[in-house]
Amino acid sequence: MTPETAVVQALNGISFGALLFILAAGLSLIFGMMDVVNLAHGAFYMLGAYITLTVVQRTGQFWLALMLAPLLIGALGLLMEPLLLRRLRGRHLDQVLLTIGVSLVIADLIGLTFGREIRSIPFPAGLDHAITIMGGDYPVYRLFVIAFGVALAVLLSVVHRRTRVGALIRAGVEDAPMLSALGVDIDRLFAVTFAVGAALAGLAGVIAAPVFGIYPGMDVDYLIYSLVVVVVGGLGTLSGAIAGAALVGPVDTFGKVLFPEFALALIFAIMALVLLMRPTGLLGRVRIAR
Amino acid sequence: MDENKVAERRNYRLTRRRFLAVSSAAAAVAACGPAATPSPTGAATSTAAATASAGPALKIGQLLPFSKVYAELGASMRRASELYLKQKGGSLAGRPVTWVWEDEANDPVVGAQKTAKFIDQDRVDVMMGIVATPIAYAVRNAIDAAKLVFIETNAGGNALTRTTTDCKPSCKSKYIFRTSFSSYQISYPIGEYFATKKGVKEVFTFVSDYGFGNESAADFTAGLTKGGGKITGSLKAPLGSSDFLPYVTTLKGQPTKDIYSFFSGTDAINYIKAWTQLGMPALGYKMNGAGFLTEQDVLKEVKEQANGAVTSLFWAVTLDNAENKAFVDAYQKEFNLLPDVFAVQAWDGMQALDRALQATKGNTTDKDAFIAALESVKFKSPRGDFEFDKETHNPIQDMYIREVKVQGGQAVNTIVDKVARVTDPGK
Repeated sequence: MTPETAVVQALNGISFGALLFILAAGLSLIFGMMDVVNLAHGAFYMLGAYITLTVVQRTGQFWLALMLAPLLIGALGLLMEPLLLRRLRGRHLDQVLLTIGVSLVIADLIGLTFGREIRSIPFPAGLDHAITIMGGDYPVYRLFVIAFGVALAVLLSVVHRRTRVGALIRAGVEDAPMLSALGVDIDRLFAVTFAVGAALAGLAGVIAAPVFGIYPGMDVDYLIYSLVVVVVGGLGTLSGAIAGAALVGPVDTFGKVLFPEFALALIFAIMALVLLMRPTGLLGRVRIAR
Repeated sequence: MDENKVAERRNYRLTRRRFLAVSSAAAAVAACGPAATPSPTGAATSTAAATASAGPALKIGQLLPFSKVYAELGASMRRASELYLKQKGGSLAGRPVTWVWEDEANDPVVGAQKTAKFIDQDRVDVMMGIVATPIAYAVRNAIDAAKLVFIETNAGGNALTRTTTDCKPSCKSKYIFRTSFSSYQISYPIGEYFATKKGVKEVFTFVSDYGFGNESAADFTAGLTKGGGKITGSLKAPLGSSDFLPYVTTLKGQPTKDIYSFFSGTDAINYIKAWTQLGMPALGYKMNGAGFLTEQDVLKEVKEQANGAVTSLFWAVTLDNAENKAFVDAYQKEFNLLPDVFAVQAWDGMQALDRALQATKGNTTDKDAFIAALESVKFKSPRGDFEFDKETHNPIQDMYIREVKVQGGQAVNTIVDKVARVTDPGK
């Protein structure tokens, strides 16, 4: 591999990692707060991509989709938590099963509405050209994905560390019953957390739509990636999602190129290794059994 | 679907038969190998609902993907099959047709279960369908043991119609016919064509890393080498690799300009988009491949980005013959969309079945006569002249070399050359 190719491959890996971060952040947030592995996360991601498809086909406005999809999917999350998940609070396995059910319903409704063909949308205007990097063309959209991922990570970190909502989330992750005893409306906090997590999945769907295509089955493909990221990075923390994505994205990319025969297994091998060395993930909290 | 429900309810009482069906399904799942199904196999005579004037009902079981990534392929084949039957007034050789549809869900285990259901519970007269080669391989033994006539309408794995050592990973069966193609047919001729006629002596291969993609690369390599060319390197991507940028970056980092690829569906779309994003055409790189790389489902999404891609397939929507025109018109009129190659494969499956039934006057019980009739069908297909190789039951067909060109603002596969009467070398 020439140095030029290596630099370009590194960019490829970082941009894939940035997308994985956007996707995994919501999953990690929901798990940290509610102790629920939300297996409908992939379906929310898919819904984000299909909303983008609809908006772009109707209006040609990618940026409108970028606003609209997280809002709509966040609203769906805001409804789903009190109507469904809350009834099963404390019953973790039942909650996980419920989220699988929801994901199947969403995927099938999408299939009914949009058909089962593979779809794709063009890159948004302004980001559809290439610039010269290391003497070759490189798509600007991929650089935008990197910038977007980094900006989102910074924004979420600031919210997490410096705002009242962030303090509530950190406290909720630490000890939700105690937070409730202190007079915080924990039901509302859970609903909002779930909505934000769902909205982040939808956002990832919008960002991914022009690059990775829109097709039945995309929900499962990316649910698996996001699970790998949060397990490697550490479940339930923002920094864990960042670390996981920063590791899995480039490893997956270089793995594909350097060991093509081993490409799919590589990220799972890393996951197994991390679980053996640090069962809580790279930056995971030690959970105290309650 | 309603018939299915009724049949299920009826069978609910027959606990012993149900037990057999379930247990043999379990056996097929557990073994996926030589399935010695314990149940009776006479699939023909006992079907229900015989009408007075017409012959007894003909039960056709179609096993297609109706969910997951190949769902649209299944939908396309179902549309073509139903259209054919509609044109024939709902019956073939005087026998009114009853459909049984099952979803293979792109999973060999599910495929084996549904095949066992066709054999033991539905007792279909003929089975058709199956998109993915691993599923076809997984059910081959059960079909052979049950003496069920099966018309494969997509899966192109070479071994399904060849004699292989110990039948690994699969092998031909007297009862299995194929109206699609073998991997060899869509890959070897274009390899030889490149080296001899097109004067391309050096090619880099980049294929989907699963059975069929690897077969396609091997057959292409054999063809190119036969014609005096050579492969300068190869690269593989796992099935369903969403991010193709790393791979295309690698292609860009090596000097061979002609790339041969086997990808289909989402992979093909993501590959072609990454190809354009990295500015490959301007650097003189040329995209080539097996026809699925630029089939209708891909082309309508990537449009002019596929401009210049050279592929080989036994059909193109623009193919100029009377049968194709009639087929494309009828399909478009009925469904308001252009047919794809999968529709053609299913259409020809129905056509072969219909003609064989005409020859046996609708009799499917005498298996040897029915198979002999299928072996000798010859007809004009939308793809051109169609006949089975009697030795292997794989079609003998012309392969077209096609190039994507933008005509009137639309990207279409135009036919630039033809390799006549390609027969799979299997025995």
